[in-house]
Amino acid sequence: MTDRRTGAASVRADSGRGPRRWSAARLPRGLHPGAWWWWALGLATAASHTTNPLLLALLVAVTALVVVRRRGDAPWALAFRMYLVLGAVIIAMRVVFRIIFGGGQGEHLLVSLPEIPLPAWAAGIRLFGPVAVEQVLGGFYDGLRLATMLVCLGAANALANPKRLLKAVPGALYAVGTAVVVALSVAPQLVESVLRVRRARRLRGATGRGMRALRGIALPVLADALDRSLALAAAMDSRGYGRTAAVPAGQRAATGALVLGGLVGVCAGTYGLLDSTGSGYLGLPMLLAGLAVAVTGMLLAGRRVRRSRYRPDRWQPAELLVAGCGLAAAALTLFAGSVAPELVYPPVSPLTWPEVTPLMLLAVAVAAGPAWLAPPPGLPSTRPPTVAVPVSDAMASTRASDPVTPLPGGRA
Amino acid sequence: MSVLRIAPRTAVVLALASAAALATFTWPFFIPAHPESTARTGEAPLVFLVMLPVLVALILAELSSGGIDSKALAMLGVLAAVNAALRPLGAGTAGIETVFFLLVLAGRVFGPGFGFLLGSTSLFASALLTAGVGPWLPFQMLCASWIGLGAGLLPARLRGRTEVAVLAGYGAFAAYGYGLLMNLWFWPFSLGADTQLSYVAGAPVLDNLHRFAVFTAVTSTFGWDTGRAITTAVAVVLAGPAVLAALRRAARRAAFDAPVTFAPPGPEPARPKAAPQSGTPVAAPQPGPDVRAGWSGGAPPGEG
Repeated sequence: MTDRRTGAASVRADSGRGPRRWSAARLPRGLHPGAWWWWALGLATAASHTTNPLLLALLVAVTALVVVRRRGDAPWALAFRMYLVLGAVIIAMRVVFRIIFGGGQGEHLLVSLPEIPLPAWAAGIRLFGPVAVEQVLGGFYDGLRLATMLVCLGAANALANPKRLLKAVPGALYAVGTAVVVALSVAPQLVESVLRVRRARRLRGATGRGMRALRGIALPVLADALDRSLALAAAMDSRGYGRTAAVPAGQRAATGALVLGGLVGVCAGTYGLLDSTGSGYLGLPMLLAGLAVAVTGMLLAGRRVRRSRYRPDRWQPAELLVAGCGLAAAALTLFAGSVAPELVYPPVSPLTWPEVTPLMLLAVAVAAGPAWLAPPPGLPSTRPPTVAVPVSDAMASTRASDPVTPLPGGRA
Repeated sequence: MSVLRIAPRTAVVLALASAAALATFTWPFFIPAHPESTARTGEAPLVFLVMLPVLVALILAELSSGGIDSKALAMLGVLAAVNAALRPLGAGTAGIETVFFLLVLAGRVFGPGFGFLLGSTSLFASALLTAGVGPWLPFQMLCASWIGLGAGLLPARLRGRTEVAVLAGYGAFAAYGYGLLMNLWFWPFSLGADTQLSYVAGAPVLDNLHRFAVFTAVTSTFGWDTGRAITTAVAVVLAGPAVLAALRRAARRAAFDAPVTFAPPGPEPARPKAAPQSGTPVAAPQPGPDVRAGWSGGAPPGEG
């Protein structure tokens, strides 16, 4: 937050001088979370439209590069590794299931495992049996594609600040978003509550263990949390929560009709999509149109909520660039697929060696853009100056290449 | 008692959106055989993946469109925090699942609409805290929401041991149902298209059901889901009465049912002055002063 303010101030002061302006735009700050999500969804779309293992591996590598260069030190930023592990598990699962349950016949026999017939209730299914290269490779390609999409979403999780994202929810979801914010803020306080109740128990000489102790701690903590919610509600009331704008009855009816009509369209579209005799117009187009109409109704309903925003996130050039990189990568991959489908979807039978075309490499290069185009992540802003001295020194050494920011108590 | 009134329009939206959402789980059973249809092109899973979050958002927006009372909202946030804190306790230990227990009890006490919202907010907050955000999250949120909704719809007159027994039974049933639905969602993704347990497009529904039954029995029903059902039922039986009492006490103190009336500017000058200060309706029973005093005083007496 501090960085944003100083950045804006120096832009105003130096307007007219090119290089300084550019460096001001690159001052460390948190990017709009929506930009990271657009980028990640673009990459996930690109990954979903190819099974080329080289391209998928490159996409994973690029995602990891951007995450490592641009993530902050918030707890959600450290979970990227978990998504990588989960991706590996998915690939392993696909391959192992292919080996156990068969499927995808091929000519190049890898190994022949003994077959295990199953009892009658699982009739028609055999375990193990011959394992072909094509079969394992098909599972690997499929799993890699899914894992890459997952890793892309994991990157968005690591890079985007969920609390900022909750601030940007549309007005109709404002109440639910507030509840989630309350939950996120209260959860750490529960730990403190548990410690307090335990201390009180010890002071009273209660040494019970097991079930009794659990009840003796859990119930007071729950009661404490419930009391806390009442106090919180009083605080929210006194700060004017729940102020709504007067919406004319006609408009309310119109939004209701939009939501209902849209949902009827969604149901019809879903039916058309799954119906075997469905005609074209009752499928996907109907579904998408219904969704669009219902969402419009929802957004209109949100106008009832009136709220002011404290330091809203704005879409600046860096945000547009990052989101554009993701969308461009998706578009380039789709284009590569229409130019040379057999290279983007390399066939497993006959076995072919996957190749990478210049178009795919261009998509990957564009996807890597945010590693340099996005401003560096914001430094922790809520640290008291006295504590900040050693910490910010340590951080400064890792970010020596970044422009100097006026950190409280940091290096000069 | 119902903290969040479900208007007829909301009920219709809930039903329509739930029906469409159910299709995003069960599509492998109904997918047509002929290859030129959209559903066969491999886009279907992606379409549903995009569609479900929108549907969940629509339901949540519709449920809260009447405006959530600040007390209900704070209760929702705090209970979601407790749920989110409970969730990691069981993670990693085979089949021990601690989320549903409080969800079922809270849905029972605070009503179906609140239960639905609590299911969604709990899983969303928990995913944000433990960084479990992924394509599965909207599906988990919806399943948990259905569980909370169902708990609120149980017959209201039950009390005492029957109530706990019914809730425990419902908890076990909901745990199995949750496992089954999540398996159903994960089925096409975990297996891919052409193993012997994968769905076959255009095959009779019973045939695909059989394949799915074998898949879910092999992978999770006897391990994870049974563990989850047992944990939930046992937790409801052991802690249910005490937690129900705590929740009901909180509901009484919050006085959700109290009619909100504002006193007209009458002859006494003191009243209209007090109203804008506290922001609370004048006629409503006031739990306020003692709560606030107890809270701002730091640790309760006897713990210092």
